[in-house]
This record gives sequence, structure tokens and C-alpha cells, in this order.
Amino acid sequence: MKKIVLSIAVVLFSLVSMAQKAEFYKAMGETLPQYGNCKSVSDFQALGNKFEQIANVEKSEWLPLYYHAQCYVIMSFKEQDATKKDSYLDVAEKSIKKLIEMAPTEAEVFVLQAFFYTGRLVVNPMERGQQYSGLSGQAIEKALALDASNPRAKLMKIQMDMGTAQFFGTDPKSFCPQAKDLLAKWDEFKPKSPLHPNWGKDQVAGIVANCEKQ
Amino acid sequence: MKQQKLKAVKKTFTTIIAFLICLGGFAQTIILGKVSEEKGEPLPGASIYLKGTYDGTTSNENGAFKFKTSKTGHLVLLVEFMGYVPLTRNVELKGDTIKVNAILKEAFNQLNAVTITAGTFEAGDKKRAVTISPLDMMTTAGAAGDVYGALQSLPGTTTNGESGRLFVKGGDSEESQTYIDGALVPVPYNSSAPNMSTRGRFNPFMFKGTMFSTGGYSAEYGQALSSVLLLNTNDMPEEDQLDLSFLMVGVEVAGTKKWSSGAITGTLGYNNLKPYMSLAPQNYHWIDEPESISGAISFRQMTSKTGMLKVYSSIDNGSFTVSQKNMDAGGQLADYKLGNDNTFVNASWNDKLGENWAISSATSFTSNKDNIYFDQTHVIKKVQGTYLKTNLSYPFSEKFILKFGGELFSKNYTQNARIDSEVHDNSFTNNNFAGFTEAQVYASSKFVTRIGGRIEYSDYLNSFRFAPRWSTAYKISDKSQLSLAYGWFFQNPVDDYLLYTDKIKPERADHYTFSFQSSANDRTLKAELYYKNYRDLVKLNGGAFYLPTSYNNTGSGYARGLDLFWRDKKSIKGGDYWISYSFVDTERDYRNFPHKAVPSFASKHNLAVVYKHWFPGIRSYPGINFKYSSPRVYNDPNSSVFNGEKMLAYKSLDVSWSFLYRPNIICYAAVNNVAGFKNEFGRTYSSTPDVSGNYPSAAIEPSSTRFFVVGVFITLTRKGSANQLDKIE
Repeated sequence: MKKIVLSIAVVLFSLVSMAQKAEFYKAMGETLPQYGNCKSVSDFQALGNKFEQIANVEKSEWLPLYYHAQCYVIMSFKEQDATKKDSYLDVAEKSIKKLIEMAPTEAEVFVLQAFFYTGRLVVNPMERGQQYSGLSGQAIEKALALDASNPRAKLMKIQMDMGTAQFFGTDPKSFCPQAKDLLAKWDEFKPKSPLHPNWGKDQVAGIVANCEKQ
Repeated sequence: MKQQKLKAVKKTFTTIIAFLICLGGFAQTIILGKVSEEKGEPLPGASIYLKGTYDGTTSNENGAFKFKTSKTGHLVLLVEFMGYVPLTRNVELKGDTIKVNAILKEAFNQLNAVTITAGTFEAGDKKRAVTISPLDMMTTAGAAGDVYGALQSLPGTTTNGESGRLFVKGGDSEESQTYIDGALVPVPYNSSAPNMSTRGRFNPFMFKGTMFSTGGYSAEYGQALSSVLLLNTNDMPEEDQLDLSFLMVGVEVAGTKKWSSGAITGTLGYNNLKPYMSLAPQNYHWIDEPESISGAISFRQMTSKTGMLKVYSSIDNGSFTVSQKNMDAGGQLADYKLGNDNTFVNASWNDKLGENWAISSATSFTSNKDNIYFDQTHVIKKVQGTYLKTNLSYPFSEKFILKFGGELFSKNYTQNARIDSEVHDNSFTNNNFAGFTEAQVYASSKFVTRIGGRIEYSDYLNSFRFAPRWSTAYKISDKSQLSLAYGWFFQNPVDDYLLYTDKIKPERADHYTFSFQSSANDRTLKAELYYKNYRDLVKLNGGAFYLPTSYNNTGSGYARGLDLFWRDKKSIKGGDYWISYSFVDTERDYRNFPHKAVPSFASKHNLAVVYKHWFPGIRSYPGINFKYSSPRVYNDPNSSVFNGEKMLAYKSLDVSWSFLYRPNIICYAAVNNVAGFKNEFGRTYSSTPDVSGNYPSAAIEPSSTRFFVVGVFITLTRKGSANQLDKIE
């Protein structure tokens, strides 16, 4: 008898949780494509809030939190006011901290962290350049150490190397072959699921186009 | 039995299924409304959602929102916006429309709340609008890589070219104290010859942040009548690295090894001014140019997730011989020879005790020996100091924080002097005990008060003192605030007097500071009015210096003035400038003064203009700095008026150029007083008149008219991308 009750309970529980999972996939599946429509700070804020609302329910899923933080980092790049930039980044920072605890072996999390540090840097390059370029570089290293094939980590590294080269008057084009190679092989990397991060191809294509321009 | 149970199970099962179906029901409720803050301003971008569901939305530019939900029953609606207290509302969803007007209260956050700014210049905090950052200290022309040099471009300070030390708001240089990571540094300056400028002992690259308080400081700090400089050392280095510095006056090598929870850095330095001094014309004749060798080890260890132990220790040996006119021997040249040995250890520990308590402890040990020969005089001065402090703080709430702690400073000073055949061997040991407490109370995020007190006991002077401190700040708008500070400050008389007497008492200064600060968009304006009342200053009654009866506490004085500071990083693209002006009116009757008079270290008008510009095309950060101080006074014993003579006004135009050659290689060049302004710091007189009744004298000049420095800084790391950008002096 006890066994029956137990098994019914187990079946019920998994039914409910599967229903929940389906709801999660549905919600994420509906929200993710909205990236394409986002242009302004408030667009990204609305989208980021949506992801946060999902993250608040799905305490064990790192993806909604990831997209929430990403939206707020993007907002900081779109915003003009320095104080507001930092306040958006403060929101992103909290989520990234949680993400590192939730998914400490996920390369994507550290790619996002590198992106976040770049956001901090951009607010005041003169005063923050030293500290945050170092931190950003370390996050990229960490991402590559976790997954050397991650194309977004490679993209961040190429962007950083090109930026440094440009700043110091050496030829940023020396990194063009790397960018071309990355673009050619971009689709070889398969995200773990349709919900996993899959951005960056456009940026590499942009870099390659720039390389071929002159 | 079994049947019954099975029935019960069936029943539960059906109920659950029914409940599940209900959940998936189609009744749609519309929730709409508006989010605004307390004054009625709409809040766009707020997140509105039903707790435990995905259903929600974001408020639009008018603060309005609207969303549908197919959930039913009693749920909680949450309205959240960064910087505001989240609002919860119980709602019953029955398929109709619910209207919600959400008024959010601003969250109290100490980071955004008003701060006490009377008398303080804070640097290093990443986010707060700061007036001076550590990078500024390095890139300010004229500072030549000296912490104290950089501070002399801030209001409230007066440059004394014959000293190089800090003189703050009409105070003498002894009235300022330096703390590293909370521990007192009893000997912060290098030893120098009389009337020659000195520099700080510490490399500015060690520090991540500074707080320079020119009055009204916290009860945590005592034994300073005029100012405290709080230096905080760097936290954990980011990676293993090797730093090489080549300056024309010396070389330095620093190696850092990092592990997951700690790091160690070893530094070796050698300086010799001989090659430089043979190139640049000097106003003095050097027999042995200054030469020094130093070693330091700094150690970092995380003691827990929140705790950090920092230890810094250094050994330094320096010497020089310079020819100076001995006015007491008819003005003939005599060798002034100095040998200095300094050992300094500083340790600090910060952590949280449980959820709320925070502890910070700091200790320092200093041993400093100066061995001086001048003509027929030989003096050995030894200072040994041990300092200990522990500080606890407890937040009763976010708006009420209580801090208290205790401090011990034990100091031994010995002087062995041989003057011709005279022998003076003297020493004293003083133990200073202090306890302090302070409460910081926020009435709102606009209004804060810090009130506290400090008791001090000196066993050598057998004196007991209580010093109240009070400061308060009020935010008058988003950008501007007013601060007031008041307090009593005590300090033991200078060592040279304590050698001969324990019958005198600590000196006292009362501070009244009123300040206005406004900052927005990378522009900062600060204006400060202050009044300082000095009492119980030590006076000499004309008796022999070695007699205890020659000293008393009947001196007094005042200083009052206005400090102005304007900084603008916005108006000129790539450019950054600040203007600092101080007016000080001061008189005092102390030491050997016959009556109240303006002291010789005070300038009425002080101006500093600093400009820096970043040229990305040539990766260069040049800077220019102009300083002016109105003529100071000095005393001519041949005149009947005390301190009646005027020096030349002090003028200096300094330039610097930093060039990033590679990410890890920085070249640096600077010239002080490039225009070659003539500066003179009064005259030095013989202590006795010559046969015709005159006191012979000689001018006090800077050691050279111009000063220049050229250097290269190289950082080597495994990655090779780090640099010493923050090392640009």
C-alpha cells in the first residue's frame, strides 16, 4: 500500500514538474526571440525584467539569470549617463555573482563576466582601464580554460587583442586570420540546447568584413 | 483497512487532478496600473509580476503597465525597481480587471546616502564621485611621485619648499599624522638636512586609496591637531608579475607571487643621486650625494571569505653628506653628514564576526635612527614606536551604526648629543592609551550625523583628556550637500620638548568647519570655511632648554580661512583640470615667540592649477601644474619686529609627460619649476651676534632651481598584457 502511495506521489510529482519544465521552455522560447526587437535601453530593460521574472521562479536554472544580466550589461552600453550606466551594471553584477555560484563550470558565464567588466571599463576608461582590462582578460582566460572551443570566448579575446593593438599603434589586422577562422568554424560549435547562448556570429562577421574592407 | 486507504488515495488523487485542471483554467485577469515614486514622478522600467509565476511586465515611460494572467485565486503581486523598496500587494484573481497604483519608497542605501564631506578629500572609491583619485596623485605634475607632494595641490595646504612636509590650514607640519591601513606611521618622511626638502618614505604605487582629512575627523584618530592622512594599501594583486623601474636616480625591482588565497611581493631598491646631481646644477655642495638601499616584503592572505590579513615590512638605509654654512662658526662651510636606518612593520586584519559585527585591527612597529655629524656636533636620535588598535562596529540597523575601539601607542625617544665638550643624553618613554566610540545615525538618506568621543591618557605626562567630535551632513539636492563639523583635538608636545620635561600637557585645537559640496557630471565644486582655536600650546620662557622649568602651556593661537576647489573632467574632451585656492589668516603665540605673530610656515594665499590631457593618437598623458603661495614671513633677529621679514612668493610651473610605449612599458619625464622662478625660503641666522652686534645670516635656497626626472617602468607577466599605468608619476 505504502509503495502505491509513494509511486503515485512520484508520478504526480514528475508530472507536475514536467508540466513546469514545459512551461519554462515555452516561456524561454517565447522570450528569447524578442532580443531581435530590442533597440533602446527601455526595450532591454523590459526584456531583462522578463528574464528575471522567469529566474525568480526557476531557482535552479542559470539561463534566465544569464539573459537578465546580459540585458543589463547591454543597457549600460546604450545608456549615456555614467551614473545610470553603473547602476545597470550593479544589477548585472548581482546576477553574475549568483551565476558563478550556480554554474561555476559554465564557460558562457565567464564570457558574460568579461563582457560585464568591459562595461565597467567603458564608463571611465582613463581611471578604470588598468583594473578592468585585467579583470576582463582574466575572465576570458577562465572561459577558455573551461571550454577552449567556445566561440564567444574566442570572439571576446579577438576583440580585446584588436583593441589593444589599435591603442598601441600595432596592426590590429594581424588578428584577422583568427577572426576569419572563427567565422568559418562558427557553426561547428553546437549550443547544448536552443535556449543556450548562441550570439556572436554577427559580430565576427562584422570584424571579418572590416578586415576585408581596406 | 486496505480498501479504506485505497479510497482515500483515490480521493486525494482526484482532488489533485481537479486542482491541476483548475490551474490550467482559462479565466483571464487583467492587471494594470501605474508605478511612481513618493513625489508622484512616474518610474519607467519597473518590474511588475505575480510571485511564483512567469506572468508580469515592465512599466513604460509613463510608469504605466498592463498584463494578463490566466492564473486564479490568491496571489502576491510584486513591484520592483532598483534603488527602491519592493512593494507587495495581495491580489485575488477572478477573471476581472485589477487596478494597482504602486508608489515605491526610495530604498535606504549607504552608498547613495549623504556622506560627511567637511574637511575630507577622499579617493579610491570606484563609484562615488571623487575629487582626487589615486591615478591623479600619480599623474599630477610637480608631485614627482611623492604622496605628500601630490597632496600639496589640494586646498588647505601650504607648500613649504624648505620642508616638503604637510602644512594644513595654518598648522605646523608636526600637527599632521599618517596612517597606513589604520596603523600610525610615526616616521612618515625621509630624514633630511635642516632647511632641505624631504619626501614621503612610501611608494605611492602601494596604495589603492587615500583619505585626506584637513579637519573635523573621526574620533578614531587622535594625536593630530591639524590633519590625518589615511592610506590604504592595495588588495590582492591580479597575477604573478615582475615590475622593473629605472629612474635616473635609482632602480627598483619588485616580484609578486600569487596563490589562490594570498600573495607575496618582494621589493629591492637602490637610489643614488650622484649621476643626476652631476648633470643638474645644484645650489649646495654635496660631498656624498644621497644614496640609499631598501628592501620590502608585503604579504596578503585571505583569512576567510570576507577577511584579509595584510603585512608590510621594510628596511631602509640611507646616507648623505652636504656642505652647509655654519652660521655659529662665522658662516664657514661645514659638512652635514647624516646616516639613517629605518625599520617599519605594519599589519592589519579586517573581517566580519558573524552576520553583523565587523572587526578591524592594526598594528605597526617603527625603529628609526638618525646619526648626524655637523662641524663639532654629533647627535644620535632614536625613535622606537609600537602601535596597536582594534576597532569594532555593529549596525543596529542600516541607519544606526555604532563603532568603538581602543588604541595603544608606546614610544621611546632617545637623543645623545655631543656639542663640542658638552654632553646631553636624554630620553623618554610615553605610553598613550585611548578609547573611542562613535555613532553614525541617518535620519534619512538626506541627513546624517556622526557623534562620538575619545579619551586619551598619557602615562609620561600623567594627563587625561576627553575629546568630543561631532559632524553632520545634509543633502540639499541630488547634487549638493552641506556639512558641519566640530571637535576637540589633542596632541602631545613635540619630542624635542618631552626630552627635557614631563611637566607639560597635551596641546589642543578646536575645529569648526562648514563646507558646501556639489558634484554632477564629472564636475565638482567644494567650498569650505573653517576656524581653528589653538590653546595650551607649549611656550619657552627663555630659560635653558634642558631645564624642565623652561616650558609651559600658556601658548595659544587661531587659524581661519576659506578653501575652494573646482574640478572639471567634462568640458574639455580628453582634458581634466582642477583649481584649488586657499586663504588662511593665522596667528599664534608659541615656542619662542615673544607675542602673538604670524608663523613662518603660513602663506595667506595659496593657488594650484593642475591640467592634464590624454592624447590617444600618441598614447600620451602630459600634465602641467602651476603653484603660487604668497610671501611667508621669517624672523630677522637684527630687526626689532618679530617675524617682520617677508620671503619671496613661491612660484613653480611643473610639467610631466607619460607615454605608453607598449602595454607593459611606460616612459615618463617631468620637470619641476621649468620656468626657473627664483624661490627663497627666508634666511638662517647665527644664534649669537658678531662683534659689531649683528646676527650674520645666509639665504635658504631650494637644493636646485629646477628638478627633472626621466624613467621607464616595465611590467612582466606571463600574459604580458598588464601594465603600470597607475605608476605614471
